[in-house]
Amino acid sequence: MGKISYKKLKGSQNLRQRLVLALLSSTPVHIEDIHAEETWPGLRPHEVSFIRLLEKVCDDCSVEINDTGTKLKFKPGIVMGGRNLVHECALNRAIGYYLEPLIVLGLFAKKPLNITLKGITNDSKDPSVDTFRSTTLPMLKHFGVPSEGLDLEILSRGSAPQGGGEVLLSVPVVQSLTAVTWTDEGMVKRIRGITFSTRVAVQFENTMVYAARGIFNPFLPDVHIFTDHRQGAQAGKSPGYGISLVAETTSGCCISTDTAVSYSRQEETAELEDEEKKELMSPEDVGVQMATVLLGEIEQGGVVDSTHQGLLFLLCALCPQDVSKVRVGKLSPYGIETLRNIKDFLGVTFVIKPDPSTGTVILKCVGSGFRNLSRRIS
Amino acid sequence: LVERTSSRQTINLMQLVYGKSTSRPTTSINEHDSSADDESDGDDFFKPKGEVNKKHGGGIEGGNWNIEDCSKFTNYSNLKDWKEEKLRESIRDRFVTGDWSKASQRNQ
Repeated sequence: MGKISYKKLKGSQNLRQRLVLALLSSTPVHIEDIHAEETWPGLRPHEVSFIRLLEKVCDDCSVEINDTGTKLKFKPGIVMGGRNLVHECALNRAIGYYLEPLIVLGLFAKKPLNITLKGITNDSKDPSVDTFRSTTLPMLKHFGVPSEGLDLEILSRGSAPQGGGEVLLSVPVVQSLTAVTWTDEGMVKRIRGITFSTRVAVQFENTMVYAARGIFNPFLPDVHIFTDHRQGAQAGKSPGYGISLVAETTSGCCISTDTAVSYSRQEETAELEDEEKKELMSPEDVGVQMATVLLGEIEQGGVVDSTHQGLLFLLCALCPQDVSKVRVGKLSPYGIETLRNIKDFLGVTFVIKPDPSTGTVILKCVGSGFRNLSRRIS
Repeated sequence: LVERTSSRQTINLMQLVYGKSTSRPTTSINEHDSSADDESDGDDFFKPKGEVNKKHGGGIEGGNWNIEDCSKFTNYSNLKDWKEEKLRESIRDRFVTGDWSKASQRNQ
């Protein structure tokens, strides 16, 4: 076997995105210094779990991790997809952490992907499963992904720290995406949302809904927030509650925010204090805060919210060799990291222009001409 | 003047994202370079600056590579009190209940 030249990278930042891009662009990567300076060096449980997940949906991947877990060699294979897969997600990140890269990979798999993920469905760090249903999946449709076979079903919910939630994700395969010109934000025509509660009284939800509505009603009459109270086995193992809000505009953009409140995980002492502060937050404050954050996102403008910028740029870069043009609000830190990774792996550079009259940013790029080569031609 | 500031900002954004080497500005804009740096403190896109500097400054610290991999970005820092009438008016036109002609100008 010939010597493989690895792309050298450092640190654990953007591990998910790097591995996804490595897979799509067939670039072997060698990542060093993963949490090397910390008390517990090496890959975190959620990172290991994510790598296992990649091995599950791909064929012919080779992963080498050194003894301390600070070095990772990854040789990509073929994204297979497949039905009836099951993955136990590590409990220090929510399912959203695994879903984000998985939907991109699923589109370029050989067979349609159908996978059950088990773990925490809602937390404050990752996009919740409700946001995926309301915002992320509709976003894919702009890029020509068919809506048949694109679904996320919430079988049961689980809050941190014990989890116990279960979701079923289905992603269809595409030959290639279509480039977008997506600069019209439109006007907000309605606000939808969903609250959830697991192992707490249903009254928590009603309080959140009432508080959030109070903020929105001066703007818009069309506000509807659903409640999803789970009981018994469907409520997972830990108590928690949360809310996911989405503003839909006249041009079909979805702008979302979400959060969840639950007891903190008992591992990282540095974060403990921070988490405890949130834990004290009453459902009323949660409702008001998320409504406020959503209005902040609306004020900022752009066709997607800050959370979805990374995915938007990635999809633009994976388009055929056409010009894509999108408008976003302020660039988020994750969005910027994404732009850098895209340049590293796919060689696509965006032209970034601020639009001073509206305070937004317009990005243009020529897609990398990416096609799904592993899909069987029928 | 407006044109000049906007072109300056363009460079800033490209630089902030991709680092200086890739978006070496054309000679005509080069002279603004030093002033552009001051400018960037004023605009809203200053957040990643530290990271960029570290990235091509050579002296990268280990901690910087291991920032948490997290796409969700919730801006808790400048939460506004939307119950205030004045603030509410400022984003009124972003809703269908606002002024449609102003909103269409926005998307020209």
